[in-house]
Amino acid sequence: MQATKSFERAFLKHLLRGFRLSAVSYKSMSLQERKSAIKLSADVAMASARGSRKWTRGLITKLSKEDDHRSFLRLILGTEYERLTKPCHGSWKIPRSKKIVRRSLRVCSRRKNNLRAPHGVKSSVLARTLVEKRTHALKRLVPGGESLDGYSLLDEALDYVISLRAQVDLMQKLLTTFEASKLSALSKCTLPERKASFVGEAGIHQQKLTEKAQLRPKLTL
Amino acid sequence: MGSAGSYGVGTGNSGAYMTEIAEPVRFEDEIRSLIQARFDAPPVSGGSFTALLGLSANQAVGLLHEPGAGEVSASAAASSPTGLGHPLGWSPTFPSNAGLAERAGSFPVFAAVDSPASSSDGGPSPPLKAEPSDSDSSPPLPVPIDKPRRRPAKRKDCEKQKAKGPAKKMKTAEEHTEGDQLPYVHVRARRGQATDSHSLAERITGTALVLDEIINHVQSLQRQVEFLSMRLAAVNPTIDFGGLDSFLMAECGPLAASNGRGEVALDPVSWSSDPAPGTGLRTDLRPSQQSSTAWVYPYALINHGTSLFGYGAANSVPLNSNQSKTDL
Repeated sequence: MQATKSFERAFLKHLLRGFRLSAVSYKSMSLQERKSAIKLSADVAMASARGSRKWTRGLITKLSKEDDHRSFLRLILGTEYERLTKPCHGSWKIPRSKKIVRRSLRVCSRRKNNLRAPHGVKSSVLARTLVEKRTHALKRLVPGGESLDGYSLLDEALDYVISLRAQVDLMQKLLTTFEASKLSALSKCTLPERKASFVGEAGIHQQKLTEKAQLRPKLTL
Repeated sequence: MGSAGSYGVGTGNSGAYMTEIAEPVRFEDEIRSLIQARFDAPPVSGGSFTALLGLSANQAVGLLHEPGAGEVSASAAASSPTGLGHPLGWSPTFPSNAGLAERAGSFPVFAAVDSPASSSDGGPSPPLKAEPSDSDSSPPLPVPIDKPRRRPAKRKDCEKQKAKGPAKKMKTAEEHTEGDQLPYVHVRARRGQATDSHSLAERITGTALVLDEIINHVQSLQRQVEFLSMRLAAVNPTIDFGGLDSFLMAECGPLAASNGRGEVALDPVSWSSDPAPGTGLRTDLRPSQQSSTAWVYPYALINHGTSLFGYGAANSVPLNSNQSKTDL
């Protein structure tokens, strides 16, 4: 499973927009504040680039719990914010007939009793607790997972993992790019050397880049 | 989590590693695979499950002592550390090739010879057992015990013969196991078996492992995000994000034209889907036509770092607003 290119592009767009919006007070922030601002931008960008999924809604709801984030979110998301935060149809209660529920419970309990009788050791109970514990842990990890069913929880977790991978990937690339630019700015080396260092850092993408650069007129400033 | 369909692959594969039930139903296939693959002793490492199984091993052996199901107990006991004595005289250690040859011949479950003697399952069982014995008794060669992917199917088969009476179910089980030759088996519990404690326990433990894996992965990814954001924050003081962003979004088309400066449409992170050649870069810099090259990352930025930003920000602020409109 791959994150699509359009998702990555939208992600980057929102991320940079978020950086720009939150960058007004960058000089005055401490490291921790900057880090949380960056993380907030990244999470919001990821959620808004993904569109409308259970975990994106959960994530945005969680982020908007704090008041100072809310205005930020509104700026980035615009109209989507209202659409994403209103409760979705997934939280509707499935209308259940009491009679049917009672009957099925009786059947289930009878079946369980019949099968439990011959075995003295409740190994199935132990096994079941293992799964339950892990399900609860996963519910806590995936945003908005508390209200999800077993299957949809896994589905959302899968989607969330793909988006997280794309997020990590993107941030790593951003980081290498920024660090490269920082290094070059500080060192004031010549153009070919900069190209060489850049090539070393990011592999094939940089090769493409240097090829393009060679066809261009020299950069003058 | 009722039906096991979606967990089939995971549980089938992971559960199988923990049990060493030999299922010689498909000797021919296994022999062929044996010729290619090495014959490995299956790992006795499925701690939790063999513990679960070992707890009831005595009962299982008791149950399985009824003729027609001794094979499951044999391998289960072989894997358990207690090393129970087998009614059929097999050694508790993992059998060698010779041992397997013996077993192949003497499987009470699948050998037609024993079926008349066995009175447990009655009429329908001899033809049922005759079916697999045709396939397995003909080449009495050593077979690998662990064909992990096929285990769940055969184990289900065995369990049915062990625990359940009705012939109808066994027939369907047999047809099912003979029918599927897939590389992996969907562990589909049938009627009356979904709540059978052994298969249930095995399925649940497999599910627990898969969930564990997912949880670890999600946690590691989240930690990575935290760490990366901290590093970005550390790199930040030297990079003014406000100016940087507007500079990026401007794409520098008009700027380049006015300054005679060549911005390279960089794709340092390969986001853009069209790898435009160097000569076509001028056209790339006109963003409104192509949405794919939305992010032009100026090479000048990398060269000259922050010195450009003030310039870029001042000139590109009006462009920025236009740009965002076209992009969005």
